[in-house]
Amino acid sequence: MVSLLDPVILQSILLIAISGTLICIAVHFIPVGGAPAAMAQATGIGTGTVELAAGSGLVGLITASYMYSSLPDPQSQMLLILASGAMGSMIMIACTMLMGSMVYAFGVGVPFASAQVKNDPITGDRQDLYMSKGTQGQGLPTVCFVSGVIGGMLGGIGGALIYYVLIGLYSQSAIIGTSAAAVAGVFTVGVFYVNSVIPSYGVGGTIEGFHDPKFRRVLPKDAFTSFCVSIMCGIVAVLIAGGM
Amino acid sequence: MVLDLTMSMAILALMGALATIAGCLEDLESDVGSQSNPNSQVQLAPQMGFLHRIYNKAISGEPVSNGLSAVTAGTVTVVLLDAKFYPLMAIVMGAFVGAIVLGIFATTSYAGRVASQTRFKQPLYMDIMRYTTPSIIGHNFIVNFCLVSLAYIQYEILAYPFSIPFLALIWGITAGAIGSSVGDVHYGAEREFQNREFGCGLNTSLSGRIVRKAESGLRNSIDNVWFCAKFGGPATGIALGLVVFLSSWPATIMQPKTPADYWKTIIVGLLIVFLLIIGNRLVEYNARKTYGPYKEEKEAAS
Repeated sequence: MVSLLDPVILQSILLIAISGTLICIAVHFIPVGGAPAAMAQATGIGTGTVELAAGSGLVGLITASYMYSSLPDPQSQMLLILASGAMGSMIMIACTMLMGSMVYAFGVGVPFASAQVKNDPITGDRQDLYMSKGTQGQGLPTVCFVSGVIGGMLGGIGGALIYYVLIGLYSQSAIIGTSAAAVAGVFTVGVFYVNSVIPSYGVGGTIEGFHDPKFRRVLPKDAFTSFCVSIMCGIVAVLIAGGM
Repeated sequence: MVLDLTMSMAILALMGALATIAGCLEDLESDVGSQSNPNSQVQLAPQMGFLHRIYNKAISGEPVSNGLSAVTAGTVTVVLLDAKFYPLMAIVMGAFVGAIVLGIFATTSYAGRVASQTRFKQPLYMDIMRYTTPSIIGHNFIVNFCLVSLAYIQYEILAYPFSIPFLALIWGITAGAIGSSVGDVHYGAEREFQNREFGCGLNTSLSGRIVRKAESGLRNSIDNVWFCAKFGGPATGIALGLVVFLSSWPATIMQPKTPADYWKTIIVGLLIVFLLIIGNRLVEYNARKTYGPYKEEKEAAS
C-alpha cells in the first residue's frame, strides 16, 4: 500500500516530473532535420526527434544503470550516476553526429550551413553563402553540434534521474523488489518516449538547436506540458511499486 | 565475474567489433528494404510519375522496427538458454526467429504500401519481393546475432543489471537511431539522386525524382545496398562501434574502485566528447573549403 501524500513519495514524483521536463528540453537542443535532412535539404541530423533523443538517452540509461550496480552505496552517489548517464548520452550523440557529418561531407558532398543564423555563433563562419539553392541549409555546423551535445547531456541526466528514483523506490517494494532494475529500466524507457514525442508537436519535426528562433518560441509550452504529463507518469510509476 | 585489465580490454574490443558489424548491417538492411526517411522519396516517386523497382518497406521508424526484431531475438534466446541450449546455438536461433518476424513485417509492409499506390499505377513486382525479402532477413539476422551477443556479454560477463531482451531492445533502438542518422543520408541524399553533380546540393524541387536506372538495367534495392555498402553502412558501423567502445572504455581502462576514481572516468568521457566536437569542426572546415560557397555576397544580400 502506497500513500501518495507521503513526503518521500511526493519527492519521487516531483523528481520524475523534473526528469521528464529535462528530457523534453533536451529534445529541443538536438538538431534534427527529419526527412529533409536525410536528403541534405535541411540542417541537422537526418532523422526524427523521437528516434535520436530516445537512442541517445537509452545509452545514457545503460551507462547510468551499470554505474548504479557497480557502486557500493549507490543511493548516496546521485550526482555520479547522473553524470555517468550524461556522459553515455553525450558520447552517443557526438559519435552519431560526427559520423553523420562525415557522410554529409564525403558521401554527399555538401558544405555545412545553418538556415537560421547568418554567422555561426561559436565559430563566426558565414552560413547564408554556403546554403545551396532550394534548401533549408544542410549538414551539422559547429553550433548545431554543440547544441546536440548539450541536448544529449540533459537527456542523459533526465533518464539517469528517473532510473535512480525508481530503482530506489522499487528495490524496497514487496511486489517487484526482486526485479527492481528491470521494471525501473522499462519505465524509464517509457517516460523517455513520452517526453520525446511531446516536443515533436512543438518543433514540427525539425529544429536546429538553441540558436533556432523556434527554440525560444516553443520551449516554455512544451516544457510545461511535459512537466504535467511527467507528474502523471510519476504517479503511475509509484503506484506500480505497491498498488493503491 | 571479476576480470583483469587484459581480459576486460578483450571483452570491450569484442563488444566494439560486434557493435560495428551490427551497425553496418543495420544500415544496409534499411537500405535494401528502403526504410526510414529516404523512403519518403521512394513513396513519393510514383505520385510524381516515376514508377520504380525499389523495395518499399517502412514498417515503422527504423529504431522501433529494429528494436522489435532485436527484442524478439533476445526473448527467444533467453527461452532457449533456460532450456539448457548452448549459448551460441541459442543466440543463432533467437536471431533467426527475430529476422523472420521482420521479414514477415517487410513483406506485408511492401505489399500494403504498393497496394495503396494503385491509382499511381505503381506495380507490385513479385520478383523484387522474392529476391529482396530474403536479403532483408539475411541482413537482419546478422544484426540480431551481433546485438543479442552484445547483450549476452553484458548480462553474463559484465553483470549489467538489465536482462538480455531489454539490453537487446536498447541496443536495437540505438542501432536504428544511428543507422537512421548516419547511413541513411548516404542512401537518401546521394544514391537516390546520383544523377546530380556531386557537391551541388539538392534542391527541394527534386523531391520524388529519384534515379531509376542502374549501372546496368533498371535499378532495384540490391543495387542500392551494393552502393551504400561502400560508405554509408561502414560509417554507421563505426558510429555504433564507437558508442559502445567509448562509453565503456574509460571505466575499463581505469578499473575504478572508489567514487573519486569513477569521477575520473566521467572526466575522461567529457574529454572524448570535446575531441569529437573538434573532429566535427575539422570535417566542417574541410567541407566548406571543398564545396562552397554557393552564392556571392551581393547575391545573398539581395
